[in-house]
Amino acid sequence: MKVAEFLEKRRPNWTELDNLCGQVQPGKKLPAATITRFAALYRAACADLALADAYQLPPITIRYLHRLVGRAHTCLYRSRIFRYSDWPRLLLHDVPKQVFGDRCVQAMFVLFWSIFISSAAIAANPKIWPGFAETVMGTAMMEQLDSSFSEPLGRRSFEANIMMAGFYIQHNAGIGLICFATSVLIIPGMLETIFQAAALGASFGYMSQPGQVGSANFYAFVTAHAPFELTAIVLSAGAGLRIGMGWICTHGLTRLGSLRKTGAETMPIMGSAVVMFILAAFIEGFVSPFALPFIVKGTIATLCSGMLLFYFVVLGFPRSGSRATG
Amino acid sequence: MADQHLQIDSTIEIVTPENIAFRYRVAGPFRRLVALGIDYMVRGTISTLLYIAIAFVASLLGRQLMVASLGVILVIEFVLGYFYGALFECFWNGRTPGKAAMGIRTLSLTGRPINGMQAVVRNLFRMADTLPLINLTQVYPTIEASGIPMAPLNLFAVGLVTMALDSRHRRIGDLVAGTIVVVDERSWLAGASRVEDPRTPHLAELIPADFLVTRSMAQALSMYVDRRKYFSDARRREVARHLAEPLLRVFGLPADTSWDLLLCALYYRTFIADRGDAAHRQARDESPFSFRGVQWQPSGAAIGMGPGSQVPGSPLTGSQGTGR
Repeated sequence: MKVAEFLEKRRPNWTELDNLCGQVQPGKKLPAATITRFAALYRAACADLALADAYQLPPITIRYLHRLVGRAHTCLYRSRIFRYSDWPRLLLHDVPKQVFGDRCVQAMFVLFWSIFISSAAIAANPKIWPGFAETVMGTAMMEQLDSSFSEPLGRRSFEANIMMAGFYIQHNAGIGLICFATSVLIIPGMLETIFQAAALGASFGYMSQPGQVGSANFYAFVTAHAPFELTAIVLSAGAGLRIGMGWICTHGLTRLGSLRKTGAETMPIMGSAVVMFILAAFIEGFVSPFALPFIVKGTIATLCSGMLLFYFVVLGFPRSGSRATG
Repeated sequence: MADQHLQIDSTIEIVTPENIAFRYRVAGPFRRLVALGIDYMVRGTISTLLYIAIAFVASLLGRQLMVASLGVILVIEFVLGYFYGALFECFWNGRTPGKAAMGIRTLSLTGRPINGMQAVVRNLFRMADTLPLINLTQVYPTIEASGIPMAPLNLFAVGLVTMALDSRHRRIGDLVAGTIVVVDERSWLAGASRVEDPRTPHLAELIPADFLVTRSMAQALSMYVDRRKYFSDARRREVARHLAEPLLRVFGLPADTSWDLLLCALYYRTFIADRGDAAHRQARDESPFSFRGVQWQPSGAAIGMGPGSQVPGSPLTGSQGTGR
């Protein structure tokens, strides 16, 4: 059989497959007969492609067949999008264990808190380094702190609280994700984390300067949500550092292989950090702005810290029978 | 011949579960940049529409509800901002609106569709690809003086350099997620090229019956015939010469036979004509050197279009422009 004849004979099949590719879309139910027909046509096209050399098909036709088979292949084969049923186990079992033994998270914990505390200490005593807080935070943030906390809490309407909760999710979780994602290049992520730690520390220090008007309001505001939020930042930065270390310590894999492996491993950690950011945002939106007695907010903060300790230490502590990865 | 290392090879081969290997073309950085631009526009449009809807709600139901729904919008903006690409690629089989418009699709390295984790990872790590940030107001103080508000610009340099270094044009996000972006367009099937010159079948019969066209020669022939319609006559001669000259010697045809016509005839014989046709055989048996009353002149330039030799009037003489 000559090529021209062969092409004419196969053309209806290929055109039909091409048209069916347009119909097979995710989430669309097709009659069983159509799907069977699709599969049969796809396999026939595969066979034609495999024998293209033997048939001496012209290169243009071969290119067409490659595209046709590719299109049908992506229509026919699908990956499972998410395994939702695995998520609870990942978040409650795997992540704490992974974090507990993770040197990168520990290193970031130490780095973050040492910068935070020293920055707060310097900013709280303007005599040591005059203008430190202003240099680190910028004038805009300082003015914002001054204006937000000069009045007692509890003046905000409930609707404004909903809006601010949305804002906190967008803003804070965004910072966490940026810390994490840019850490793949190591330096930008580190810089971002150091900058955030210094700025946060400076704002704490600045608000506790002697004679600061809004000091009491500030602490009444931040106490309740601080545990979740600060932990989430440390967690995102630590997960980011783990990815960055994937370039360096490959444990015998290729650099790219190691990067891919750490990438897949750290995503659940980042997921739990995002959950913490969202929890913190809800507390920040619906608890922190109210003029509750300090003891209530202190209790909430203690409860949150207790939950975090339970999560990372009790759930994360390596038990016999399961080996934590170091 | 160009240095092998200087050439770009943007095809990848994928083996299907049916054990068939097929090829994809990998999408280059600039096609993908356009897709990203379209996606940014879609995202911006969605945000704008949301804010317009909010203003509408405010005018109907009062300011309080507007403030509250602003919170919802901010959450939607957060999801759009960080997970727009991930959500589309998850639920739309590796495509975003921009990718669909540019005819590209994300696949995992093995050629299978991507899963949710890969979609989230590759879109999250785009933030690293868009680095470094440049603050134009600091580079050009005149902008600051003019008072035009200017957000820091993403240069995309990290992504571009990574893609240029990788043979499969993967950016950082693709490297971490183990994905590639391929061209996945619909293409149209072209049949065998028609050879319209009426002399072609005649010349085809003069080709010895036992001559076997190899696979690579068949490919070269079909590529030549598919493209020759875009060539000028001089260019056809130039291209066809490399194959036709030695073939003429092998076939024992006169050296001034039109090179272009010979390749067309060989193409016709290989791809279109049926060798088993009884009439052909009969014609050949009757008179190997004549058909339809035209005597072939072995010595002369009857089938002539070699450079400089043109004999008008002979049915096999190619003149400028009749070979199409």
